[in-house]
Amino acid sequence: MNSFEANINRLAQRDSALAAALRQSGGGTLEILPARTGLMSARAQGRWIHSAYDPIKEAQAWAEGQSYQEGETIVVFGVGLLYHIEALCPRLPRTTPVVLVVPNLSVLVDAAMARTWGDWMDRVSWAWGTAEAIGEQIASAGHPIRLVTYAPASALHADSHRAIETVLQRNAAAQAGGQLRIAVVGPIYGGSLPITRYAVSALESLGHDVRWLDHSVHAASYHQLELLKNSQHRLALQSKYAEMLSRITMAQLAEDPPDLVLSLAQAPLILPALEHLRRKKFLTAMWFVENYRHLTYWQQLAAGYDFWFVIQQDPCIAALKQAGAKDVRYLPMAADPSVHRPLELSEAEREEYGSDVSFVGAGYANRREIFPRLLGHDWTFKLWGNEWDGATALTSILQRNGARIDTDTCQKVFNASAVNLNLHSWAGAGLDPDGDFVNPRTFELASCGAFQLTDRRSLMPDLFTASEVATVSSSEALPGEITRWLCEPEQRVAMAAQARQRVLAEHTYVHRMHALLSQVGVASPDRIGSILRGDRQAAALAVAADESFSSVASTLRTFPSAQRVELKQLAAQIRSRGPMGTLSREDLMVLMLDEYRSETKDLV
Amino acid sequence: MRHDEDVAARILLIQLARLGDLVQSLPVIASLAAQYSHRSLDLLCAASLADLARLFQKVGHVVKWNGVQWHAWAESFAGEFQPSRLREVEQYLAELTTDPYAMAYVLNHHPRAILAGTLLATEVQGPTLRGSLDEELTPWASYLRQVAQTRGSNRIHLSDTFCGLCGVTPPPVPPVLRLPSIVLPSDLAEVGMSAGQWIAVVVGAGDADRSIPIAVWTDWISTLLAHDSSCAVVLVGARRDQTTAVAIQDGLSPMMAGRLWDATGRTTLPQLATVLKRCHWAVGADTGPLHLAAAVGTSAMGFYFSRARVHETGPYGLGHWVWQSDHAVPEIWPIHASVKLIREPETVSRQAPVSGWSLWQSHHDEWGAIFHPVDDNDAQEDQRAAVWQQISEQSLSQQGLQ
Repeated sequence: MNSFEANINRLAQRDSALAAALRQSGGGTLEILPARTGLMSARAQGRWIHSAYDPIKEAQAWAEGQSYQEGETIVVFGVGLLYHIEALCPRLPRTTPVVLVVPNLSVLVDAAMARTWGDWMDRVSWAWGTAEAIGEQIASAGHPIRLVTYAPASALHADSHRAIETVLQRNAAAQAGGQLRIAVVGPIYGGSLPITRYAVSALESLGHDVRWLDHSVHAASYHQLELLKNSQHRLALQSKYAEMLSRITMAQLAEDPPDLVLSLAQAPLILPALEHLRRKKFLTAMWFVENYRHLTYWQQLAAGYDFWFVIQQDPCIAALKQAGAKDVRYLPMAADPSVHRPLELSEAEREEYGSDVSFVGAGYANRREIFPRLLGHDWTFKLWGNEWDGATALTSILQRNGARIDTDTCQKVFNASAVNLNLHSWAGAGLDPDGDFVNPRTFELASCGAFQLTDRRSLMPDLFTASEVATVSSSEALPGEITRWLCEPEQRVAMAAQARQRVLAEHTYVHRMHALLSQVGVASPDRIGSILRGDRQAAALAVAADESFSSVASTLRTFPSAQRVELKQLAAQIRSRGPMGTLSREDLMVLMLDEYRSETKDLV
Repeated sequence: MRHDEDVAARILLIQLARLGDLVQSLPVIASLAAQYSHRSLDLLCAASLADLARLFQKVGHVVKWNGVQWHAWAESFAGEFQPSRLREVEQYLAELTTDPYAMAYVLNHHPRAILAGTLLATEVQGPTLRGSLDEELTPWASYLRQVAQTRGSNRIHLSDTFCGLCGVTPPPVPPVLRLPSIVLPSDLAEVGMSAGQWIAVVVGAGDADRSIPIAVWTDWISTLLAHDSSCAVVLVGARRDQTTAVAIQDGLSPMMAGRLWDATGRTTLPQLATVLKRCHWAVGADTGPLHLAAAVGTSAMGFYFSRARVHETGPYGLGHWVWQSDHAVPEIWPIHASVKLIREPETVSRQAPVSGWSLWQSHHDEWGAIFHPVDDNDAQEDQRAAVWQQISEQSLSQQGLQ
């Protein structure tokens, strides 16, 4: 009997449907070649999937590098010739469920033909089919799950794995009930400051305990440094100032250590601080809500954060990984419907803020070049915002003499304008030919129920359809598009309404924070994941303690069942019995641990 | 209790503080051993000090307290409390002692030490009156706290308050730590072996504000070695003191190199004790090594400033000297006077006073250690007997209440 028959027959005893499907499927995805040791290795798309020298040794090294916590289900991405599964299984307790994700049967056919599988296959569950089906099979194997990836093989089916991961994250999000303690580190000033506020609000609305380390209170001092004429002094002092704010942040984190430190772009945390946080087992994430091509300091920080969330996909994600980031994910911008909302405006307000065409924003080069061409038409055009110095051609339409526009005014302009122009900033002329990410303004306008005409962005179709947001592909076409949309008021209203519904359904900051925490939770099943699942809530902990530590279980039952309880709370509850209180041996152990915990983390 | 049960009743002394406090526990160990000569007396101390504690003759078994492990557990428990992991803690405690001690005497007013006592023994005597959650102090602990806060006229040495905490009186004679033969690093083997006075210079201090400036040490050693004498100096200290030791040597004349050894950071605690034993004098501000020197029978001379006070933590025993500064940060240093004291001890009574400093010598009597000024004219009346009587009465009264 050849290896294929032997493997499939044995597999049929555990998963007859998969065995039958493999008999029907063809192979040919992998090119099977002998390695130097004589064992079979494999190549695909010009790359080796296993070592060309010694696949077993390589697989053992990979398996040794995988971490695991008691009680977890191991889910493996990457099939190849399964050397890595063979190496991993003996390193895990017999009772640990192992699920191998098979996104494509052809690879498994190749693997079955290449060599005879060992006894390890009797303890592996095979998850195959659609992403949804695979997600369900993984969920049925048990929680918490730990995803491990054999990258050379996994890369062949990256899209499938992403889809499966999304299903898992969705499942995790649906189950999430636990309360996290999150420290949000915001910037000193700038565009990411209001986004920090929205993110904080969203996290709070999800029921988490959020502490905003708000560095905007230092903005006045920081701006004073900008007045220094000597650029060498200015840069040196700004750098020192950022370093000091980083230390302040560390001190704040030390006082009340959170489960997750979430930074927004421009948060003043420098690399040594991030490295120190990692040594102290703080989990950190950065939502980089900036164009990675314009702001490039991520290159210095990439390795510092445990998780990066970015508003661009490849090549941004690849660049961050190249710079040392371990985990990079796409998380687009959003809106806060409590801020960005339809408004009932008075006649006077419509008069003041309204126009046929409007634009709110700063005077970037492309806008300075395009907007003069929108003058002299039979529509009214109002330009709002700052940094328009020197744009003399636009003086007649510039409102409030180029003053900075606050959020309230912005919402009124959005609501009062027939066509809101939304041109992403760019340093060149015309529209950004490489425009990929979708700016916050897109979501905010949509959330206001305002019609917008936006420059075309490559990531737009996944976020808004053409029946929700109108786009224009060149600056030359812009006047014509404006004319067209001004002539179609009913369609404008319909599109704006659909765009708002889309935001409410998918694109709020609550959605984004939910997604962010779910992704961190799946990637960190023993820490964030367990909290989100509610494993740290009093009732769950009491059940876990019942068997061996009845006294601790009994104390845990004195808390509301859904309350998250940590060592600190448990010790405080024990101490609350007062000096005459009776203490069990378990109580004493908890108090001793808390004595050591209470020492300030050596962060500063 | 029958006699055989009493014999089986084991006692645990808990001292989780640093080197100086551990060595200062020798008097209470001696007194407890004398009081309960038929019982086994074990000692719980920081794991890093266990090798030294094993040299204490009156101690049966040294139990190591692994603070690093506790910190690691606390770190892993903080933010992710898992009841199942308490098993590891339970196992660790079971390895410390299979059966609980009959009594734990706790010398530290720190919740950890009190909790350790409660975890390891059925009865605890220490700084608090009733158990781990109680904040009401025993009379001796109250007295210690009052001394720490107000200093005042206290003349009771910390070692002797340890005795009070444990319900025993100070030993009639200062205990001496007898060392077995301990091998030194080869280049230190000659320390103390040739004629002349060997001086151990304790270069560092437990806390930065208690360190003697490098320039002062350079001056002091230069003064000592400049005389036409056969003095030799051994620099002692921990690994963190090595930079200081190098800086001191850099400031000395190359001509002195042949009479100076650098042992900083290169000895275990038993080896340090051996080096100190081989020297005639130990000089410095770091009370830990000074106490160790005094314990092994070497004359100690301390420079006490910052928070250090001679009456509370001067070297225990007979014939030790302490220069007590009037200021937290001394402006001048008694360099020549202190060198002269070592070279010509018979002239001490004729020494001119050094501005900002007073000189005290150690003595011992029924109430333990006592320091007298060199002119034997202590402005403060010795109230130790009255304090002991008062606190003993308070203790008896509280025991009656309980």
